[in-house]
Amino acid sequence: MDHDATGRAIAEPGDRRTREPGTAAGGPRLGRRRLLRLLGLGALGVAPLPVLPELIRAAGRDEPVQGTGDPARTRDGRIRQWVMIIDLRSCDGCQSVGQPPRCTAACIEGHFAPEPMEWIEVFEADLPGGGTQFIPTPCQHCQNPPCVNVCPVAATFSTPEGTVLIDQDRCIGCRICMASCPYDRRFFNWGDAPVPPESLLADYSPEHQVPVRRGTVMKCDFCPDMARAGTLPYCIQACPQRALYYGDLEEDVATNGRALVSVSRFLAENQAERQKEELGTKPRVYYIPGHGEAVGRDVFTPGREPTEWPWMERAAEAVTWQR
Amino acid sequence: MAAVSAWRGRLEETALAPIRRTGLRYWALVAFLLAVLGWGAYAYWTQLRDGLVVTGMRDRISWGLYIATFVFFIGISHAGTLISAILRVSQARWRTPVTRMAEFITVVALVCGASFVIIDLGRPDRVLNVFAYGRWQSPIIWDVLAITTYLTASITYLFVPMIPDLALFRDRLAGRTSRWRGWLYRALAIGWDGTAAQWRSLGSAIGVLMILIIPIAVSVHTVVSWIFAMTMRVPWNSALFGAFFVAGAIFSGIAILIIVMAILRRGYHLDEYVTEKHFLYLGYLMAAFAAIMIYANISELVTHGYKMEEGVEFHFRQLFLTQFGALYWFYLLGGLVAPIVIALLPWTRNVRGMVAAALLVTMAMWIERYVIVVSGLRVPLMAYPPADYAPTWVEWSLLAAGLALFALLITLFTKVFPIIAVWEVAEEGEASTAAPGTDRRAVPETMELAGGTGR
Amino acid sequence: MNPMIRRAIRTVFASLALAAIAIAIAGPALASHVIVSTTAPAEVTVGEVLRIPIALRAADGGPLRGTSVTFYLHASFAGVTGEAEIGRAVTDESGVATLTYKPRLAGHHEIRIEYLAPGESEVEVATTAFDATGDVQLYRPAPGVSVPGLNVGLLMAVLTTVWTILFGIALRLVAIARAGREGSVPASGDAG
Repeated sequence: MDHDATGRAIAEPGDRRTREPGTAAGGPRLGRRRLLRLLGLGALGVAPLPVLPELIRAAGRDEPVQGTGDPARTRDGRIRQWVMIIDLRSCDGCQSVGQPPRCTAACIEGHFAPEPMEWIEVFEADLPGGGTQFIPTPCQHCQNPPCVNVCPVAATFSTPEGTVLIDQDRCIGCRICMASCPYDRRFFNWGDAPVPPESLLADYSPEHQVPVRRGTVMKCDFCPDMARAGTLPYCIQACPQRALYYGDLEEDVATNGRALVSVSRFLAENQAERQKEELGTKPRVYYIPGHGEAVGRDVFTPGREPTEWPWMERAAEAVTWQR
Repeated sequence: MAAVSAWRGRLEETALAPIRRTGLRYWALVAFLLAVLGWGAYAYWTQLRDGLVVTGMRDRISWGLYIATFVFFIGISHAGTLISAILRVSQARWRTPVTRMAEFITVVALVCGASFVIIDLGRPDRVLNVFAYGRWQSPIIWDVLAITTYLTASITYLFVPMIPDLALFRDRLAGRTSRWRGWLYRALAIGWDGTAAQWRSLGSAIGVLMILIIPIAVSVHTVVSWIFAMTMRVPWNSALFGAFFVAGAIFSGIAILIIVMAILRRGYHLDEYVTEKHFLYLGYLMAAFAAIMIYANISELVTHGYKMEEGVEFHFRQLFLTQFGALYWFYLLGGLVAPIVIALLPWTRNVRGMVAAALLVTMAMWIERYVIVVSGLRVPLMAYPPADYAPTWVEWSLLAAGLALFALLITLFTKVFPIIAVWEVAEEGEASTAAPGTDRRAVPETMELAGGTGR
Repeated sequence: MNPMIRRAIRTVFASLALAAIAIAIAGPALASHVIVSTTAPAEVTVGEVLRIPIALRAADGGPLRGTSVTFYLHASFAGVTGEAEIGRAVTDESGVATLTYKPRLAGHHEIRIEYLAPGESEVEVATTAFDATGDVQLYRPAPGVSVPGLNVGLLMAVLTTVWTILFGIALRLVAIARAGREGSVPASGDAG
């Protein structure tokens, strides 16, 4: 096929160069006016960027709930810094009670936590010298929280009270927080889990996480709403051995529901530790080492009763899953 | 000049052929891919209806096949960057017949990869929250920024060098094709008629883009790896991850390019332009990257394995002996060692061998992504028995649909756009046939030919 | 074990406990043979170390050495009211035990001091009080390391650079389109 037949001209060598001066307008050289225009257009192009999020927010549904307004304060007006101390010397995994761990059960009932979520989970770990110990593990409420760092939409956030909460109205369900949590303390609503119908009527708050929202992440919220109202979290109230303490670092006081302790002193006196301290997550949950010796537990009696979800029969058609 | 003209004419006809003739086999392929996509749509609808509970993912292994596929697709998107940008910067002339395919793989793979992130979300309805409430600290936001930038740059990088070819299509197909095509080519050719000014603008645009796209591509796969490396999981806790992922991305990109090249070469009779040389050169590049990958793996495994920190022992056991043993050994031997062997042995050093190696590498790299994601999450964090993960039919279906989407987009693309960079091939071919040893500076004269219109 | 003996032991313990409680309640009055003197600090700031020395002397004026002293603070938290142990000290050569404590709450604080004098079987009690002022927040969520220049601004600068370059490329395309329209063919698409 010949070129001329297709109607295209064959340029002569050198043709380009001779034409060049006349076509400066299309050339890449930037004159001053051109540069100014470029900058102006660039500014115009970039200007709407900050407006975009606002537009998207405005177009969205109701503004998601974030935080809870005013943080809890001490009598003299300083912000509470919630803390939990778990005395492992007194934890026997509820072996002596012969029931599933009461802390887990109370938490599940109080928060209508769907199966198989154990926001405070009693792990049974091997002791170095043989035998086992029970370690009730709620969310560690890190002060350098890996989950908050990685969340793309600030759905999980640190509060002024030092706790870490999740706004299930904002969570997009990407689960990077679950990948980054070194304590395995985050749970996902994979489907429509069975929950009692009355829970669906509750007013949602990130401090209580009821009712559940499918496709979002949940975890222990440290019950700051209850503490603010002057009661203790479900798990603390329920512990038959009084092994769990809830307190405030700011006022330096904690209680297991009976006795009061000075947090700093209690921790120092009893060689308290935090889980995986080496990670630098700075948890707000402290452990006093032990294996139930204060309540007479035999370390060579392993096992605890499996956790139960009381409303399983009530929602027979609901989807369930395993961890 | 006559010989050159005849050669050129044949080249243009080759480029135009897919648009002029469409066989039954093509429609059968499209129908098949659409069927797979439809099946995937049904699977996704199931997932939307019931929630992610229909997948095999659970709290303890909370990412699986979707995220692995996302990483895989973002990885193969590096085909375009490497072939097109790096080889263009280094003025490797043999690249010209395959650049267009590589660039299109980039764009399509990015689209497919990004869609897997959406598929993985528990609340896809809230995906815009990423823009409304984005936090700069989150690796996912880095990903969103890097991938949108990369997608924009890749589309531009696909489009800009295609302008003269689009003008060719516009002129050669004018009146001989459907109205929408005529309109499309007219619009996309943006008034190209090959003037010197236009060539200069085009040259500078390509020059800037080919430099710009390399750091963007490197950043993209680095931040993809940081989704993992920024967490506190033992097997992911590695400073090497960024470089490792970039190397793996280019590695798998070359592999997928070889496969696409082989298919298009056979389907559209491109043997004259896409020659054995291209397969061999790409095969050697792939072998070189296999060596880099072997090095990276050794570096990673030895630094972790020598110290055997908490969790590493478990990880090594699952990687080499139990859970992921078969997959991981396939990856190491079939995916990394085999391509080098194939490139070294004279009797496998041919198109067939390279395509086989590329198939192995593609499979192995998907498996590698899968093993990285799942094995990393499987190492127990607390005192609980390790969880297990097996993808369900929904996940497999969506993987199939993702691959089908990838194939379908490329298939459709070949019917609309020039699959060979005509003017670049002409530039290279005519520079070497008409005037051997001609300096690159002399090329614009022949470039004029490529995009010239009836002035 | 003989039930008789067991009952006897129980009775002894019960009466001892009753006596202890009685002494504890009427402690200061009964413990007249130990002279307790505390110095209540004048200015106390929340969060700063506070030292409360307590001197124990026998009735003859000699210092009571090596006596363990425990300090309790009256507190109320989350519906529980009571006393929390805030320190323990042992008297030195001059009979002085010093409580080192960081007050954590502004306002009036009552401290109960318990000690077991040598040779005595009953715990004796004294009290002291102080007022603390201050409203400094002592605990804050840790902010991490802040490196000047390593922040969102840097990220935005990089992004802006990249997108400006992309925008420049768009301008080149505009230039191509304009050069085409300004060419000899009015509507180049119509050619052919």
